[in-house]
Amino acid sequence: MSSISIPNRRNAAARPPPVPSSGVSFVLPALLLILAVFILPVVMLLLRSVTEPDPGLQNYRELFESATVARVFVNTFVVSGLVTAIALLIGFPIAWLLVILPKRWADLLFGIVILSMWTNLLARTYAWMVLLQRTGIINKTLMGLGLIDTPLPLVNNLVGVTIGMTYIMLPFIVLPLVTTMRAIEPDLLRAAALCGAGRWEAFRRVLLPLSLPGIAAGGLLTFVMSLGYFVTPSLLGGAGNMMAAELIAQLVQSLLNWGLGGATAFALLVLTLALYAVQLRLLQRGRSQRGG
Amino acid sequence: MTPFLDIQNIKKTYGATVAVQDVTLGIGRGEFVTFLGPSGSGKSTTLYVIAGFLDPTEGDVRIQGQSILSVPSHKRNIGMVFQRYTLFPHLTVAENVAFPLRVRRRPNDEIERKVAEMVRLARLETVRDRLPSQLSGGQQQRVALARALVYDPPVLLMDEPLSALDKKLREEIQYEIRRIHQETGVTILYVTHDQEEALRLSDRIAVFSQGRIDQIGTSAELYQNPATRFVAGFVGNSDFLSCRIDRVEGHSARIVLPDGACVSGVRSHGTVRAGSEGTLMLRPERVRIRNAASNTTPSENGAAGLSVTIRDITFLGDNTHFAVETDWKQPMAIRVPFGRAGAEGLAVGDRARVDWVAEDAHVFAESANG
Repeated sequence: MSSISIPNRRNAAARPPPVPSSGVSFVLPALLLILAVFILPVVMLLLRSVTEPDPGLQNYRELFESATVARVFVNTFVVSGLVTAIALLIGFPIAWLLVILPKRWADLLFGIVILSMWTNLLARTYAWMVLLQRTGIINKTLMGLGLIDTPLPLVNNLVGVTIGMTYIMLPFIVLPLVTTMRAIEPDLLRAAALCGAGRWEAFRRVLLPLSLPGIAAGGLLTFVMSLGYFVTPSLLGGAGNMMAAELIAQLVQSLLNWGLGGATAFALLVLTLALYAVQLRLLQRGRSQRGG
Repeated sequence: MTPFLDIQNIKKTYGATVAVQDVTLGIGRGEFVTFLGPSGSGKSTTLYVIAGFLDPTEGDVRIQGQSILSVPSHKRNIGMVFQRYTLFPHLTVAENVAFPLRVRRRPNDEIERKVAEMVRLARLETVRDRLPSQLSGGQQQRVALARALVYDPPVLLMDEPLSALDKKLREEIQYEIRRIHQETGVTILYVTHDQEEALRLSDRIAVFSQGRIDQIGTSAELYQNPATRFVAGFVGNSDFLSCRIDRVEGHSARIVLPDGACVSGVRSHGTVRAGSEGTLMLRPERVRIRNAASNTTPSENGAAGLSVTIRDITFLGDNTHFAVETDWKQPMAIRVPFGRAGAEGLAVGDRARVDWVAEDAHVFAESANG
């Protein structure tokens, strides 16, 4: 782990020999492809945001002055944060079950989690529309039980978006967590129990801290994916509370405002990268504290 | 007087498979008892029942007369050291040792004092702020020991704690365990499949075989007076020769070896019945070997013997190891201490005569290949 690599870093002699450069020519086509399909469009987008309709930063001025854009960004970050938090709360116990259940039951549960990823995204989102609408199963059941008098507004708003996206993001939380948890020695929890730790203490002091790398990886993945998510917000969300990807689509497709659309997309990219950098810093600091 | 730790008639079954049965054992306060047996003999299962990781199908476990079976693991107040180092990888040595006290919500000054005491006892002063991944295997196991003792448990369980260490480290930690046992006076239940480790550490040894305890006794008792063929084979080195039991009187039997030689005055163990097949057991260092030509008298002063062919001779310094074969092709090992007369001039392929004092021979009812 990190503790092993740290002394190596100080000791230059222990470094592995540099990779021979002769292999570069083999990966060159792939590198060029990545450049053409990933990097180039981003650069072009950035260029459009400062050249259309006129050269200058007016698109960014508009972006920062617009109350609508500000609200869309707030919506986006709040929903992404909620989705990540709820998916973690649901995903953690599922991941732990996958690790501790007998193999047959774990395989079944794993199948259910994975199967949801293999089903068409639109089909899954429409399924949620059916479930969540005013006359959907959820509202009908709740009213039938007499718990509510009028249907709850569960769709065409951010509640619907949060529910739908949480479900879609769940596998991206569960899979990294399972990998992390599988690496935890099962006898560690037995040792914790004999040391006097009940379930809660064992969770708080052993399982949770040891699962942190998985929580961080899954959480970041989910949060970043949620920031730019389009399908679910546009189907389950309402016109009054857009998310960033919807705003960009509207600017480009309906208003043909490539300049402002590019500026919005670029702002989202910068915010995402900034978040990623912060998390990377936190992870590294945690690691070096443990390593030191 | 009731024993301090009382294991009463433990039985554990998984469906039709019996993991352990009839395990009954009383352990005194401060005693060091080892469960010795091959893997799958039920020794770890018994330990896990005491730790609370398994519920026994039948039986009871009592500490000072109180049954602990209904008490969950985390309230049993038992210490345990596991086979693999089960230190918390995200906590330093000192925090690992402090863990049991932290979950018990002891005051900070008490935690600090107890941890310092344990770190000193386990000689971990120089590494107390390191993480487990920065320690050697031996240091990790000493931390595990300190963590298991910091809350003064009445009983310490050790489940093959040294099996992951190399031989030199094992001996070093064995010495540490003995010292810590003497300094703390804790009652220790130790599981191992290594007979040497069991002999070196324990006050008493319980030999497990196929889910049962074959024999409980001190090292010397097990060695001198093994109750079953299994104990004889597992504790110390043994030669086994197939034989027929001719007559039994009390604990003395007369047997007939396959070459027709009669041996009387053999100590019999278990349900040895006249007329049945049995196994003659000898300790390699209690057998004497000499040149067949030099002296042909079959026995002297109560000694019994037989003719063998020498297959291999290995000089090991303090003793010489002879691999021989009987006339009916059963192998035997014989160890002759350096300097003992009679074995000079013997070479591979020679015919030789081996003999032993009658009371050094034991006979068991089980057959030699069973």
